[in-house]
Amino acid sequence: MKDYLKLLILVGLATPILVFADAGTALKTDTVRAEPFADAKTVGNINKNDSVDILNKKGAWLQIKTKKTSGWVRLLSVKRGAATVSNNAKGVIDVASGRAGTGQVVSTTGIRGLSAEDLKAAKFNEDEMKKMESHTLSASDGQSFASAGGLNTVKLAYLKGAK
Amino acid sequence: MTKLLISLILASGLFATQTMAYDFGKVLEDAAKKKIEDVKNGGETPATATVPDKATSPAPESGTSSATTSAATAAPPPAQPEFNWKNPSKEEEIALGREITGSLLGAAPLVKDEALQKYVNQVGRWVANQSERADLPWKFGVIESTDINAFAAPGGYVLITKGLYQKLHSEAQLAGVLGHEIAHVVKKHQLKVLQKQQLLGYGAGKLSGLFGKNDKLAKKALGTGAEISARGLDKDAEFEADRMGMVLATRAGYDAYGLADVLQTIGQTNKSDSSVALLFKTHPAPDERLARLGDSVGGSLDNIKAGKTLENRLYKLN
Repeated sequence: MKDYLKLLILVGLATPILVFADAGTALKTDTVRAEPFADAKTVGNINKNDSVDILNKKGAWLQIKTKKTSGWVRLLSVKRGAATVSNNAKGVIDVASGRAGTGQVVSTTGIRGLSAEDLKAAKFNEDEMKKMESHTLSASDGQSFASAGGLNTVKLAYLKGAK
Repeated sequence: MTKLLISLILASGLFATQTMAYDFGKVLEDAAKKKIEDVKNGGETPATATVPDKATSPAPESGTSSATTSAATAAPPPAQPEFNWKNPSKEEEIALGREITGSLLGAAPLVKDEALQKYVNQVGRWVANQSERADLPWKFGVIESTDINAFAAPGGYVLITKGLYQKLHSEAQLAGVLGHEIAHVVKKHQLKVLQKQQLLGYGAGKLSGLFGKNDKLAKKALGTGAEISARGLDKDAEFEADRMGMVLATRAGYDAYGLADVLQTIGQTNKSDSSVALLFKTHPAPDERLARLGDSVGGSLDNIKAGKTLENRLYKLN
């Protein structure tokens, strides 16, 4: 009973962290600009792990606000979600959502995961393989599908790995 | 009653997986050793095989490692057409991929929805067309699993779980995910792992006959096939597949950030959630992947015309 109370209190504490849907965290140091363009005026910068509020998205840019500055940064410099929730709180959330002890989830709903063990024990299934093969499309099938969706190819070289 | 029993068995299986998470490397090593023993038990002389942790590729013929030596002294290979591990043909690559994918399908069958399967093949085929291996007979499928994951096998086989598919909000995101898997095939990431393993652990000659009548030995040596998918690739292969996948989807006319969107979503999934257990074990953290992708992209997409997201064309699952 005591534990149950403790759990409720902890859940209460943990919840506010999760309600800010537009909270973000800087993944690295980057320039904050006045407009969503690479050559727009610099208005400040963000550092790795800074908390940011995500206000808007435009193309490859996010409009953000931090304690120190506000403006636009590149989309890939910010991750959605607040900085790491502590392990304790995470565990509590798991209990509260019925995720702790994965067995529960399996036994109540009959859903199936795909663990390393499952893969190791797997046996070749010829029927399913044949089914998969029956859906094989040609290059021109792909082209027709793209045209139907108004997709046009773009010339772009592969990217180099960052140092 | 039967249902309950099955649930219990499944539950215990999952529990075992969780415990394993703490020493995954050891488990893999054991699995590799076991496989070698399996092969040896198939009529070979017993030997003390050691699996090197970091596989550096020695010249296959030189027989420098103890494993290779013991393999060389074992019974002579049966007289069958040999599987060319050093330089597999396209057909051999496809045969290998079929073996692996068929096993994956044994663990989780295709979702029984013809329209869905056709749709992922359409998107996948179009993205694959943008790669330098458009000649492969690309095959895509959505499998019945609540896990969040996707798999690729040599020769152009790509599977995505229903759990991951249900996290998607647009066709561009699907294209990004498939692009990542297509990149693994194009760069032969899985094939290289298998080659290394075969050349080091078993000796190339022992895997003859993948196409022969007695292909049992080859099958045994491959393990269950799907096992390779549980092992994961090195981090750099994953980062490379992210970069290439993003470019392939962009070339196909999609919004360049579909894959990044999905990585954001995965990053928000609770790390202790069992649905991402295998994914997180076999891939670098989503944050790291996003940051690396950002470093590589820099301003290189600034002059690319914005691609399409096609939210409305994403096939909705019932």
